[in-house]
Amino acid sequence: MTLASLDRISPRKGRLSHTTVFWMVFAVIMALLVIAPFVLPVFWLKFLTEILIWGLLAMSSDLLLGYTGLISFGHSVFFGLGMYGAAGALLHSHPANLWLAILCGLAGAGGAALFVAYFSTRLRDVYFAITTLIFAQIFYVIIFTWTSVTGGENGLIFSRPHFAIPFLVDFKFDRYTMHWFVLALVAGSYVLLRRITRSPFGMVLQSIRENEARTRAIGYPVDRYKIVAVMLSGLFAGLAGVLYAVQNEFAAPDFVFFITSGDTIIFNVMGGIGTLVGPIVGAGFFQLLRELLSRLFGDQFPYLIPVGMVFIVMIIFLPQGLMGWARRWLNQ
Amino acid sequence: MRSPADRRGAAPAPILQIEGLTVRFGGLTALNDVNFSVMPGEVRAIIGPNGAGKSTFFNCVTGVLRPTSGRIVFDGKNITGRPSNEVSQRGIARSYQITNILPNATVFENVRVAAQSRRHAWSMLRDRGSFNDLNEKAESALNQVGLLPKAQELAANLSHGEQRNLEIGIALATEPKLLCLDEPTAGMSAAETHDTIELVRRIASNLTILIVEHDMPLVMELATRITVFHYGEVLADGSPAEIRDNSRVQEVYLKT
Repeated sequence: MTLASLDRISPRKGRLSHTTVFWMVFAVIMALLVIAPFVLPVFWLKFLTEILIWGLLAMSSDLLLGYTGLISFGHSVFFGLGMYGAAGALLHSHPANLWLAILCGLAGAGGAALFVAYFSTRLRDVYFAITTLIFAQIFYVIIFTWTSVTGGENGLIFSRPHFAIPFLVDFKFDRYTMHWFVLALVAGSYVLLRRITRSPFGMVLQSIRENEARTRAIGYPVDRYKIVAVMLSGLFAGLAGVLYAVQNEFAAPDFVFFITSGDTIIFNVMGGIGTLVGPIVGAGFFQLLRELLSRLFGDQFPYLIPVGMVFIVMIIFLPQGLMGWARRWLNQ
Repeated sequence: MRSPADRRGAAPAPILQIEGLTVRFGGLTALNDVNFSVMPGEVRAIIGPNGAGKSTFFNCVTGVLRPTSGRIVFDGKNITGRPSNEVSQRGIARSYQITNILPNATVFENVRVAAQSRRHAWSMLRDRGSFNDLNEKAESALNQVGLLPKAQELAANLSHGEQRNLEIGIALATEPKLLCLDEPTAGMSAAETHDTIELVRRIASNLTILIVEHDMPLVMELATRITVFHYGEVLADGSPAEIRDNSRVQEVYLKT
C-alpha cells in the first residue's frame, strides 16, 4: 500500500506534528462550516446541511466497508428506521421532543442492526452483502405495506420539534440553528468514529479485513467483533436518518429502499474508503454533480447516465477515491 | 512404552494429551486413533512423509478443524472442537506453513494486535498507541525474533525469512504455553535456517514446542522427543536416538 497507510498505522515517529496538522485543518474546516449560514443563500445552505447528513450516513458505512471489509446493503434500513423511529416519537409526544426522537431513532436503527448483524455476520464477502440486501428489502416491504403504522406509500409527516434543554433554552429551529445542530452532531460523530478506528477495537476490525482466519487464530472472537461493528455502524446511520427526518419534517419509504444503500457505497468509493472524511467528500461531490446536471439540462434530464459515467472514470483513474488522490498529491 | 499408571506416578502432568484422535474426510481417514502426549518443556518434533496427517493433526490441536472423534486435553481442560480463538486464549499459539501475516500493517502493528488479544481487546475510545503495556509486550516479542530494527516497516516489505520469523513473533505476543510451529524454516536460505534454529532454541527455554519439520538433521538437532506419523497413525515415538535406530522408521521414512 501507500505511505498514507503507514502514517495512519505507525505508532510513534512524527505522531505529534501529524496530529497537530490534522486538528488545525479540522478547525479551519469547522470554522468555514460554522460561518456558512451567513454566507450561503437559503437553497445552498439546506443543500450543505443535507450533504453533512448524507456524509454521516456514508461515514457510518465506511466503518464496515473500509475498516472491517464488509459491504453492507443494509444501511437504507438503519437510516430508514432512524427516520421512522424519530417520526413515531415526534408524532406521539406532546410537545414533540427532539431528544426522544433521537433516542427512538437510535433504538430503532440499533435494534434493526442487531437483528441484521446476528444473521449476516456469520457470512463473508458477497454472501454478507446479499444477506444485508435481503434484510433491507424485507424491512422496505414491511414499512411500505404496514400503512396503519408507517403511513405506507405516503410516509409520515410531522412538524419540527423545538430545541429544548429544560430550564435553559427552548427555541424553534431556523435554518441557521438547524445547520449548526446537524453540524455539531456530524462533527461529534466523526470525532467519535475516528477514535474508534484508532483504538485497539478498531485495529481488530482492520485485522479482520486483512486476514480473518488469522485474527481468529490469535484469539479474537471474530463474529462478536463483526456484530458490534455492524451495530455501531447502524447507530450512526440511524442518527443520520433522525437528522434527515427532523430537517425535512417527513419520513418516507423511498429512503428505506436499497437504492439508498447503493448511493452510500457510491459516496464511499468516490470519496475514498477507509478514510472517514472521504465518504463525506464523496457525498458532497455526488450531490453537487447531480445538482449541476439538473441545473444545466433541466429537471427531466436523466442525470444518472452522466453520473454513472463519471463514476466509472473515477474508478479507473482514482481507485482510491478523491481523498486517496488528495493524500497522494499532498505526500509528493 | 510406559503404562498410564507409571505416568501418573511421575511428577508433572502432560501439558497436551490426545486420546483416540480420528479425522475422516468423506472416505479418507486422515488421522486414525492417534494417542499422543507432550510433557511441559519438551521440544517435540512431528515428522512423517507427505500426507501422513501432520497438518491435519495441527489443525485439530489449534481448533481450525473439528475431529471426527477423540479427545484433546490441554493444560487439564478439554478443548476438543473448540474454535481457534478459544484455543488461542487457552494458551496454544501457532505459526503457519504459509506466511499468514497482515501485509498492509507495520511489523510492530502485526505483533501489537496479537498482544492486544489478551488485554484491552475491546477498548474503543483510547488511541491504541497509548497503551504502554501493549507496546512493551510487542517490543519484547519483536526483540525475541530479532525484528525490532524493522518494527516500522510494512510487513509486506520484509523478506520471506523475516516474515516467517514475524509469524513466530506474532505467536509469542499471545503469551502461549504451547507453541506449534508448522515448518518454520520452509523456503529459507541456509543462513536464515540457522538463525531460526537458534531462535527456536532460545524460546524453547520457557515454552513447550510442537514442531512439524521435513529437514531431518534440523529435527535431530532441535527435538527432545520425536513422533513419527505414517498414514494417519503414530508409527513411533521416542528420543531422537531411538527414532534414528528404529527399523520401521528407517523403512518408511529415513531411507538414505
